[in-house]
Amino acid sequence: MADQPIVRIENVRKAFGPTQVLKGISLSVYPRQVVVLVGPSGTGKSTLLRCINLLGRPDSGSIWLEGLEITAPKVNEDKVRQRVGMVFQEFNLFAHLNALQNVTIGMTKVLGMHKQAAHAEGMRELERVGLADRASFYPAQLSGGQKQRVAIARALGMDPHVMLFDEPTSALDPELTGEVLEVMQQLAKEGMTMIVVSHEMSFAREVADRIVFMEGGHVVEEGSPEQMFTNPVSDRTREFLSRITDPGQDEHK
Amino acid sequence: MNELLLFAQRVLPVLWQGTIITVQLASVSLLLGVALGLPLGVLRVYGSKWVRRTVMIYITIFQGTPLLVQLFVVYYGLPQLGLTFDRFAAAYITLGLNSAAYQAEYLRGALISVSEGQMTAARAIGMSKGQAIWNIILPQALRLVLPAWSNEVVSMIKYTAVVYLIAVPDLMGQAKNLSSKYFAPIPVYLTVALFYLVLVGITYFILREVERRLQIPGLTMEG
Amino acid sequence: MQLLQDFVTTLQFLIQGLGVTISVTVIALAVGFVLGILMAILRVYGNRPLKALAAAYSVIVRAVPVVVTIFLLYFVIASIVDLSAFWAGSLALGFASGAYQSEIFRGAIQSVAPGQMTAARAIGMSRIKAIQYIILPQAIRLALPGWRNEATLVLKDSTLVFAVGVPEMLRRAQYVSSRTLEPFLAFGAAAVLYLALTLLTNYVLGRAEDRYRMVT
Repeated sequence: MADQPIVRIENVRKAFGPTQVLKGISLSVYPRQVVVLVGPSGTGKSTLLRCINLLGRPDSGSIWLEGLEITAPKVNEDKVRQRVGMVFQEFNLFAHLNALQNVTIGMTKVLGMHKQAAHAEGMRELERVGLADRASFYPAQLSGGQKQRVAIARALGMDPHVMLFDEPTSALDPELTGEVLEVMQQLAKEGMTMIVVSHEMSFAREVADRIVFMEGGHVVEEGSPEQMFTNPVSDRTREFLSRITDPGQDEHK
Repeated sequence: MNELLLFAQRVLPVLWQGTIITVQLASVSLLLGVALGLPLGVLRVYGSKWVRRTVMIYITIFQGTPLLVQLFVVYYGLPQLGLTFDRFAAAYITLGLNSAAYQAEYLRGALISVSEGQMTAARAIGMSKGQAIWNIILPQALRLVLPAWSNEVVSMIKYTAVVYLIAVPDLMGQAKNLSSKYFAPIPVYLTVALFYLVLVGITYFILREVERRLQIPGLTMEG
Repeated sequence: MQLLQDFVTTLQFLIQGLGVTISVTVIALAVGFVLGILMAILRVYGNRPLKALAAAYSVIVRAVPVVVTIFLLYFVIASIVDLSAFWAGSLALGFASGAYQSEIFRGAIQSVAPGQMTAARAIGMSRIKAIQYIILPQAIRLALPGWRNEATLVLKDSTLVFAVGVPEMLRRAQYVSSRTLEPFLAFGAAAVLYLALTLLTNYVLGRAEDRYRMVT
């Protein structure tokens, strides 16, 4: 692992109206690392994720991407988002385009690639997520798990340096989460830097390099999976992780 | 039977001429309506606050006043201000401006029903707002707006009839002439009604076929 | 300012025609209401010939421009009975509106939950009573948004009876225009008045909607 963090979050605060959602978050993610953010719903994990690709802006604090401060005023947001890929809970596939077109539209319209090159590249990404045979299917014709895998291919098609996952399996039926988690695991093996918000504790345990527990707008604790699951420092961490992992976990496998 | 044939001989060719004018009026006005209504609809949703307000005022005025009054303002009223149009131009302008207002509203409805997640995902892969609207939102909205737009086409064919009042020789205009010429209003107007019925029917079937061809599975107004 | 003075005078003259415009609108809406509900009921609950009749009425009248319908009805009525242009025109407009209203009410009746009719029959109501006391009251409330739209349309289409000689506001505007030779002022003032009327109608009916609205 290199010395410099690929994503550095410094003392970020954000409020929505009267509610202070992020109360001074600081976090560093190093290249090829998989960081999983866990915590109770509504504690700002998604909000934080959306700040990293500037879909939301922090009220104060700064965020650095590969040594560049993206929260500085004159930064081109669109260019930032070309380097950071995002996968959403609700998939958000482009409804009027088939799977392949979903993957290639960013390549042709944003990156300016030629149609044939984009086509070839797009098919490669679809193969990577195991859906080459569904290339001409429209989103409505795909299952939830397939939709999400296309969404991953779409994000990968932009050749991002960091991938953000915002609860990628939360909208899926339990039987379908496996196929998505497998793709994510493969990505991690290939060395992609990933920041994941998820409730999937087995994934966190097996794939994460670091787990960050957030609650109430603060980072309560962070550490390696072994440390967090077997020997957490904070009681809150212990409480939360035991509550999540206990009954439902094995049913998800 | 002879009487009927005689009637048909006198009436049908004239009505046919009127029909051609009606179709011309409707098509050109619809195109004008699209040309103006599409950008207006986009501005109504994505423009700045004052742009949105201005467009809304335009729409309110054209939707809130009778078409006939608008026609008279353009044809009889504007000359007082120095802007004179011949009857055809006045018809095209009025029908076009009017249609644009309705089309802008329909497009607005379609634009806001495209789920917000589409815009978010488009921004997330680095598209600018303009790119997102052009490549992602509009293609979906245009499909969603088809049913309402089909209604507008049919409406337009019917509303062109009012231009006879400024002596445009459309189907209705020819009907009026014939009815007073032959003192036979009821048969003439019945025939005219039939003409419109057929015209609307054909249009309806064409539009339905277009809608069917452009359909994408899963892309409906509820979705 | 002379312009403002002229404008106000024109408005005052036009407003005298307000009564006619409103009467035409109200009569047409009322006629259309009765026809519309009747046809809607026939369309949903009638036997095959009645259904066909109602469908034919709705489809044919809606495919023809309102102007044509008004002219046709006007001459038909004139050949049967001796009515003033005002009454002939208003009834004709009502006949046309009925077709649109029948679609509005048909949709509303069909969105009343099917269980309602079942429950009504289950407590021994005849079909007619069930329609009268259970279905219709709900359907009318469901129809409010669509009806509000139709009311505005009829208000605007009231100008069309100008063509059969009814002295409503547009005709008065034409009169003013030919007298003062200021057509823009005359028709512009008419436009302003109509705009005020449609906005007012929308507002009043919108409030009624808010009070009585029902969502299934």
